[in-house]
Amino acid sequence: MTRSSLRLRLLSGAAAATFLALALAGVGFSWLFHRHVERREADGLIAVGKQIAASVSVDEFGRPIVDPLPANPGYQAVAGGRYWQVLGSGGSAQSASLWDQSLPSVAAPSSRWSSSTAPGPFEDRVLLVSRTIRPDAGRPGIVVRVARDDTPIRTALGEFNFEMGLSLALLWIVLSLAAYVQVGLGLRPLDRLRQEVDRLRRSPKARLSDRHPSEIAPLTDAINALAQTREDDLTRARRRAADLAHSLKTPLAVLSTQSRRARAAGAEGAADGLDRAIAAVGAALEAELARARAAATRASPLSGTSSALEVMEQLVDVVERTPHGEAIVFTIEAAANVMIPAEKADLAEMLGALIENAARHARRQVRITGVIVDDTALIRVEDDGPGMEESFAANAMQRGVRLDETGSGHGLGLSIVRDLAEATAGSLKLGRSSLGGLDARLSWTMASHPPKLR
Amino acid sequence: MRALVVEDDDDLAEDLVLSLRAAGFVVDRCSDGEDAWFRGDVEDYAIAVLDLGLPCLDGLSVLKRWRAAGRSLPVLILTARGDWTEKVEGIESGADDYMAKPFAMGELIARVKNLVRRTAGQGSPILRIGQLSLDTIRMTVTIDGRPIMLSQLEFRFINYLAHQDGRLVPAGEVAEHLYGVADSTDTNAVEAIVKRLRRKIGSETIQTRRGLGYALAGSAG
Repeated sequence: MTRSSLRLRLLSGAAAATFLALALAGVGFSWLFHRHVERREADGLIAVGKQIAASVSVDEFGRPIVDPLPANPGYQAVAGGRYWQVLGSGGSAQSASLWDQSLPSVAAPSSRWSSSTAPGPFEDRVLLVSRTIRPDAGRPGIVVRVARDDTPIRTALGEFNFEMGLSLALLWIVLSLAAYVQVGLGLRPLDRLRQEVDRLRRSPKARLSDRHPSEIAPLTDAINALAQTREDDLTRARRRAADLAHSLKTPLAVLSTQSRRARAAGAEGAADGLDRAIAAVGAALEAELARARAAATRASPLSGTSSALEVMEQLVDVVERTPHGEAIVFTIEAAANVMIPAEKADLAEMLGALIENAARHARRQVRITGVIVDDTALIRVEDDGPGMEESFAANAMQRGVRLDETGSGHGLGLSIVRDLAEATAGSLKLGRSSLGGLDARLSWTMASHPPKLR
Repeated sequence: MRALVVEDDDDLAEDLVLSLRAAGFVVDRCSDGEDAWFRGDVEDYAIAVLDLGLPCLDGLSVLKRWRAAGRSLPVLILTARGDWTEKVEGIESGADDYMAKPFAMGELIARVKNLVRRTAGQGSPILRIGQLSLDTIRMTVTIDGRPIMLSQLEFRFINYLAHQDGRLVPAGEVAEHLYGVADSTDTNAVEAIVKRLRRKIGSETIQTRRGLGYALAGSAG
């Protein structure tokens, strides 16, 4: 995933939002819990305070006397964590637990119970409730204070916070995973679309399927329309190229007749120049047409396989009628099930050029074989001619080189056969045949062809 | 001898006509497919030079109509596209040879003469041996009426055997007949021809006596 990944952006957004929400919830829960616990503890202290208020009396010196004392043993042990104190005008009474200390005074206690936290006599902090009571009207009030160490409360709060934090973290992970799944499900149509567009790029005839969600359908429709326009343009361009070839070849034939007339009229030099120009233009035309064909083949989807045997027999029928082929025996050895992953027309171009070339160089025989070895389809065209030097073979495979510059016109160079073979995901290799001449091998690996989009 | 030139380009057609006349032919020319089909159907030509890209009716259709009507004149087709699919279509439609534009006029005239020579001067063009019929004009054999297209070499081989009255012909003699001067390796080529012929006309038709030679089944002798 890159920085600009939609998935990453959606996922990080979802993770951050849930994290923020859960953190706020955690703070809120903690505060509510703290308040709840403090209130309950304060209620407990107020109950004790009421009990003390009910049992307090004031002697003649204005000293408060508490009897009976609160029963909780925490008030008896020194620094026991629970304290009470009653302050009168003439003195005070307090729990044994306070020892020689005093509870901190808090802002003017009112005639209602109020609670607060304050530094404790023996502890960092205590929870303290206090109130002023007036047992006798007209006499000064008595302040009742009850406190307890709030360490247990804070410990409980800490434990609560820890456990809640763990739970929220777990919840965050679960929610993030859910977001991941959700984003994955949401983006899956885009992923499928990407794969289909990728296949469309390789196969102009392919179209995007209509299995996409309604939100993506307008996009696929637009892409399909674009692909159709592109295919139409391609078809038009190919047709124009064929028309151009046709329109140029006839004038070329006419030019060659002019050359012949010039030669007959004694203008040998002019005729030679004309012939060379005609040959060059003709060869360039053939090479460009063949290249355009290879490009078109590369761009078009494979619509099936072609029977090697059928194409071989058809081509041999043609070549054995040519002056080069009529004195040659063509032997075809191929099983009917040898299928080549190329369009029939493309296979005919490749094999036709190889067979014609073999016929041109053969003495008596041309052998054409088709076999499937493992997952490779192999076609060999061999002749019993003089063969080819290795350096010449390498040269012949270069772009635009004609094998036999003196041969009559329509033979494609081996380089063009190689281009076409590569355009159909195959390869061309040259070697020496057991017959003595050239051994041209075309091969295709059957597994390398992906299935069509539709 | 009469020749028909079917070409819509005036300059090229004119040159074809002039060259064929210079080669001794009486030449008719037409420039569209409909006219060509009609002329080829009603006139008797020794050869037709037929361009495939024609107005009104394309060259392949003209050729198919001639063959469907039983016209067996040899036809040399001219193609501008020059791709193999078109050549195969041409031959399968009944053409005897093809040339791709631009072509050398000398080579075209040589091929025209070759086609005419191949089909001319055959007194009785059909030779029958058993189930086999040899059409010496179309260079085809038929077995029980089913036509089978043969290469020139194959036809010359079977034609040679057919004229031997069942005599066993040694491979060396066949090679010499086919290639003029032959050496010992050429008997391999003869074996290859026999192998192909057997695939085309059936394995029983040509008999082999090891070390002696070949004979046609059903011929006298």
